[in-house]
Amino acid sequence: MELAVATVTNLLILSSMYILVALGFAFLFNMLGILNLAHGVIYMLGGYIGLALISAMGVNQWAALIITAVIMGAFGIFLERFCFRPFVGNFNRIVMVCVAIIVILQTTVNILVGTQILSLPPFVEGVLRVGLASVSYERIVTFAIGAFLLAVVMWFVNRAKWGQQMQAISQDILGAFLQGINVHRISALTSFIGCALAAIAGCLIGAYLGLGPYMGDFILVKILMLVFLAGIGSIRGIFIAGLVLGTLDSVLPLMTSGAASDAVAVGIVVVLLLIRPQGFFGYEVEM
Amino acid sequence: MIKQVPIKDRRNVAKPALLAGLVVIIALLPLVLNSTYMLHIIILIFIYNIAAVSLRTITISGQFPLAHGAFMGIGAYLAGMASKWLGWPFWITIPAAAIVTAGIGMLIGYPFARLRALYYAMGSLFFGIGVIFIVYAGGIWTGGYAGLIGIGPMLGSSKLAHYYFFLGLAVVSIIALYRFEFCRLGVNLKAIAQSHLAASSVGINEGWYRIQVVGVGCFFAGLAGAGYAHYNTVLSPVTFNFMATLWLVMYVLIGGIDSFAGPIIGTTVLMIISEFSRDLKEYSPYISAVLLLIVVYLMPQGLVSLPRLIRSAFTERKKGKRIAHAP
Repeated sequence: MELAVATVTNLLILSSMYILVALGFAFLFNMLGILNLAHGVIYMLGGYIGLALISAMGVNQWAALIITAVIMGAFGIFLERFCFRPFVGNFNRIVMVCVAIIVILQTTVNILVGTQILSLPPFVEGVLRVGLASVSYERIVTFAIGAFLLAVVMWFVNRAKWGQQMQAISQDILGAFLQGINVHRISALTSFIGCALAAIAGCLIGAYLGLGPYMGDFILVKILMLVFLAGIGSIRGIFIAGLVLGTLDSVLPLMTSGAASDAVAVGIVVVLLLIRPQGFFGYEVEM
Repeated sequence: MIKQVPIKDRRNVAKPALLAGLVVIIALLPLVLNSTYMLHIIILIFIYNIAAVSLRTITISGQFPLAHGAFMGIGAYLAGMASKWLGWPFWITIPAAAIVTAGIGMLIGYPFARLRALYYAMGSLFFGIGVIFIVYAGGIWTGGYAGLIGIGPMLGSSKLAHYYFFLGLAVVSIIALYRFEFCRLGVNLKAIAQSHLAASSVGINEGWYRIQVVGVGCFFAGLAGAGYAHYNTVLSPVTFNFMATLWLVMYVLIGGIDSFAGPIIGTTVLMIISEFSRDLKEYSPYISAVLLLIVVYLMPQGLVSLPRLIRSAFTERKKGKRIAHAP
């Protein structure tokens, strides 16, 4: 019972965090075809900025979460303007820029903080007990924030004017441009949203699992898997693929140990990708 | 009928002579460099040159594999395990590991031949990550997280012998891969890269040729990895992980993916720079990153295009024009 509850909460938290980080990556990728390999590092940097705000400057935790999101969102706008926009449509140069960003940010964090594993203070204390099962409030709050943000983002994408413009651009960039949509403004906005979501996820995971300078590499692989499993251009697919990956990552360690379960999870993803190269909900793009 | 005049172009002789001279100069370098540390760096440059050039060879088929570091790892671990657990000498393990790596690459290439472009890149990336996890999960056989130790040394403790061995290996591999581009297989691959539909309509079997080129690329990746295993005698999975693959891709891209000399120049420049900036300790990765940014923003075709850019800058200035930057 205890194990089952722990597994289910783990599954929900991991899935919501994966989806949260992957959504920002997927928006930018769907709209402009930018393979933002630096997204994992942005997530890592978000966690560290949150930690700096809370522990060094003594900001209230919830305020720190919002300030981190705004700072990293502004950084996202900067990245989109100066690092991605000049190279849209050129895969090789975007990969080079992203590797440069990864190296610069990881080295900076390494120099300023060091490689030891740090942790944000928990957002809420205490344990909820229902019958035999017990869940810490920390996990509930983490999942609740993730679910709330996902709901807000989905509302924004489907209902708000700018969100609908985002969808229009990802369907046909030239057509959207001819309809009078300001493509540059919307892509800057997309980058802002993506980086802000990644930063919030970084803070939440930092409180839940801990922070390290190389945590970005791990999540980068996860979001790449998620986006390609879901299929390019599909938002609904990201939710389902996120649940699948979260399930794999939380259930497989129960059966085998450590690296073997990771190897099995990667193997399953490769096989799924070979069965349906265009993903489960997307369409194939020629690049 | 036009009588065919034999073209006596001096450049046909000059270029190979120049390159042969370069190889002779590199072969004579140990006379000038007395420190074993410098020799060590140059040996590593030789090994990574083989890997980077073979990575570029796969990309002439129009696909971008992101598993080359992992294939190097497969070769390295095969050679290391054969040497440690079976006690085979290096002159058996290195060719054997290269051939088995090529076989694995072709087996993997068979299902992957149906993926194209970004999907191929991502599929191979996930495969590479899976390989590293298998190495981690291998327990005592692969050494797991601690790494594989106790691989049989190759040529004693003499760095000079290693230097000439890897120089020979690199020169032979690079010449073989250069010739490969102009054989029938290489030309067919270039046709596939331009348009896989047009290529298959004239009878080029796209899937089979792509499997073959992955086999060729993986052969040399396995060769480089196996040589690395015997040279270093200690293996760690971190050497072949996702970031290592990305750096291998950077070696190719920074030199220029369109020309054969690109990966050689890129590997040499980037590795020398990262070694010479070692005095800066934790600040040294900034140097490589700044070089990457310079190449991205100023040299779209990679470092190879630097002479051409300088020349065009001078000629344009004479005409009194400004260079139009490509968008």
